[in-house]
Amino acid sequence: MTRRLPLALAALTFAALFATQSGVGFVRDEGYYFEAARSYEQWVLLLLRAPAAALRDTGRYWSLNFEHPGLAKLLFALSHLVFTTWLGWLPDALAFRLPAFAFGALLTYWLAMLAAQRSRAAAVFAPALFWGAERTFFHGHLACFDVPICALTVGVGVAWARAIGILESSPSTVTPPSTPTPPRRSLFFGFLFGCALAVKHNAWLLPAVLLVHALLLPAELRRRALRTLPWLLLGPIVLFAAWPLLWHDPVRHLSDWVSFHTHHVHYAWYYFGRELRGPPFPIFYPLVLLALVLPLPQVTLFAAAGAKLLWDFAHRALSPLRLLELGLAGAAILPFMLRTTPIFGGIKHWLAFVALLAPEAAHLLAGAAGLASQAGLPRARALGIAAAAALLPGLWQIAHVHPYGTSAYGELAGGVPGAASLGMQRQYWSNNVTAVLPWLNAHAPRGARVFFHEVNPESYRAYQQAGMLRADIQYASGPWDAQYAALQWHREFRDREPETWNAFGTRTPATGFYLDETPQVVVYARPGLPGAP
Amino acid sequence: MEDAAAPARRRSDRARAVPLLAIAALGVCALAFDVTLPLRLPGDADHAEAAAALRVRAGPRDAVQLWPPWAERARMFIRTLPVRTEEDLRAADYPDVERLWLLAMPRVPFARLSRARAALRERGAIAGEEMRFGGLSLQPWDLRGPRVLSFITDPREEHEVDYVPRQCMQVRIGPPTDAGTLEARGLGGVLHVRAGIVGERAYQVARGPVRVEVQIDGAPLATLTVPPTVPPEPGWRRIEVAAPSGEHAFAFRVSARDADRPFCLAAWTTAP
Repeated sequence: MTRRLPLALAALTFAALFATQSGVGFVRDEGYYFEAARSYEQWVLLLLRAPAAALRDTGRYWSLNFEHPGLAKLLFALSHLVFTTWLGWLPDALAFRLPAFAFGALLTYWLAMLAAQRSRAAAVFAPALFWGAERTFFHGHLACFDVPICALTVGVGVAWARAIGILESSPSTVTPPSTPTPPRRSLFFGFLFGCALAVKHNAWLLPAVLLVHALLLPAELRRRALRTLPWLLLGPIVLFAAWPLLWHDPVRHLSDWVSFHTHHVHYAWYYFGRELRGPPFPIFYPLVLLALVLPLPQVTLFAAAGAKLLWDFAHRALSPLRLLELGLAGAAILPFMLRTTPIFGGIKHWLAFVALLAPEAAHLLAGAAGLASQAGLPRARALGIAAAAALLPGLWQIAHVHPYGTSAYGELAGGVPGAASLGMQRQYWSNNVTAVLPWLNAHAPRGARVFFHEVNPESYRAYQQAGMLRADIQYASGPWDAQYAALQWHREFRDREPETWNAFGTRTPATGFYLDETPQVVVYARPGLPGAP
Repeated sequence: MEDAAAPARRRSDRARAVPLLAIAALGVCALAFDVTLPLRLPGDADHAEAAAALRVRAGPRDAVQLWPPWAERARMFIRTLPVRTEEDLRAADYPDVERLWLLAMPRVPFARLSRARAALRERGAIAGEEMRFGGLSLQPWDLRGPRVLSFITDPREEHEVDYVPRQCMQVRIGPPTDAGTLEARGLGGVLHVRAGIVGERAYQVARGPVRVEVQIDGAPLATLTVPPTVPPEPGWRRIEVAAPSGEHAFAFRVSARDADRPFCLAAWTTAP
């Protein structure tokens, strides 16, 4: 297979993300990353104008959001610089998000490359299975790090597989182990690992996975893999180059970075009717959550894929490429089964687990269609039935829930209302507030003070810059200080609603955003104000 | 002519379609659930009809209990009587409520309406006739609770304890040497005192317990200790104590080593 199909699928992914981004609210973290990217953009401009000053002043511009490496935010900044500041083609938020869509496209490309080793149908199914759920689709839109690090985890896997000769553009041309690895492939592998390090700290797990993978390979391949591993040393160099904060006083900044994550706060998280506030967390939490949020066909196919990989591993029947997929998938989720790792944020922290299972899941789906065609069903019809059965529930979920991705639940949870009854986290990150912004714009008097609850000042400013919120509406720090309140329903913030009732003297919402009857964002207005009941 | 193994071969061929059939069945079931879910939920018209029925039928000592408790969209429509979102209907206090209207969404996944009804039955409540408004069910329950003689604290103020809005008044916690005090007059009888720490600080174990000393006409009557909440133990603590009949001055002195917590207290008396 040529790269034409993966490239076409990647372009389709980019177009789909671009076309559906407008309603996606600015999640809490995006607010911080937008601010950081603005600061980095100023640094880039300074670099172009006065390079010596820019090299000297890295701390001033890059200290913002020191807890994450610089590459993704630098790309957000460069995109904004080119498409908004210079060309004026795109609004601010869309320009910041453009690199995220590119990472989404890259993820599709690499998934298709991996799955194409099985079949052409699997190459199409793999990215479709990954993206065909509102949770994953939603994350593809954000100027955050979750999809970028997921894409780069898969990308490093693909680059490693190519560097050691177990993955080629055409499965029939796998490089014999005796043939030396072309240096450009090893170079690219090392570079990509550096990019992953420069996006998010999850990448530090990859060398261990690749070492174990190398050691489990047959002798000749093992030798080649062990010869390739030192190229990982390029990684820290790329990290250093892509994160100017490290250019001065690197030890202190590295220490701050590590310290932030080793002492990360445990946010309260609602799970089966109880608030998880700290370790020990349920061991199967990440798997159970995946089962509840993804559409049922994906849950089944991913579970079957995981089981098949483990079964074949136990029976020493895994090809080197499938062994790599299993290792990377395991490394993506196992840290969250330690019972001590922070587990907030839905499934976003282990998206790579889903992605790395997608090629095998796609293969099983294509295999089911292939078997049916052997039983007499025309092959095209069998593939059509397989695609419809596996993907339509997910497409329905996207059509029904998008852009409120953090609220999505699958059929096993009983959908969004079933999950509410089960006592699951209703939403997070505050982006669902976009559903009530038009109402506030229409009703709030000029200069009205609104308590936006979980929406941080950075996201509030981003809504105003994007024209989604009137510029005169002011940010209130609490219900006592506000004329309107837009409360996001979180179990751990239940105290804010009675607080608002007491402050406003009413228990009747003025409006709200209710998803399948579940309260997501409830708006209160002081009696007598426009829109008040 | 067909050989003897042909039927077995045909069966084997057909069996090859089973994995695809299984996936197709899964997809159809999932899609059927997704597409029909909105049909199981109430629409605006259902809510409006239920609210209208409550306007016509409800009395001054009635309240509405939502089920599941998260079904709070009903607050947009019900404006004539108090709305409660208690989670444990067996143990919940409904002071001064004679009749409770259980407004439920019976067809919501995992709603477990039967459990809610069983809990009400267990506390001695008697069910009335159920009405249906599309995706909503409305059923009156005669609670048969004791008559309230006095609200010592204002039931119009509400705060959250254990993630449930409670009719209680916020009281300052003071250090043991300067306890926060709430004073009010009311009739004697059975004194019901409820108290809890508001918000997430209730779960911070290191902060230690809060002590509520109840006094009547200046004399100690009872003490209620509210420790940090460690689920499944409740954070909303309770005592019942007999108070002599007639009007009295009640005082509640609230103290703790760590006073930096919002604290909420409810008290009322009922006939013995």
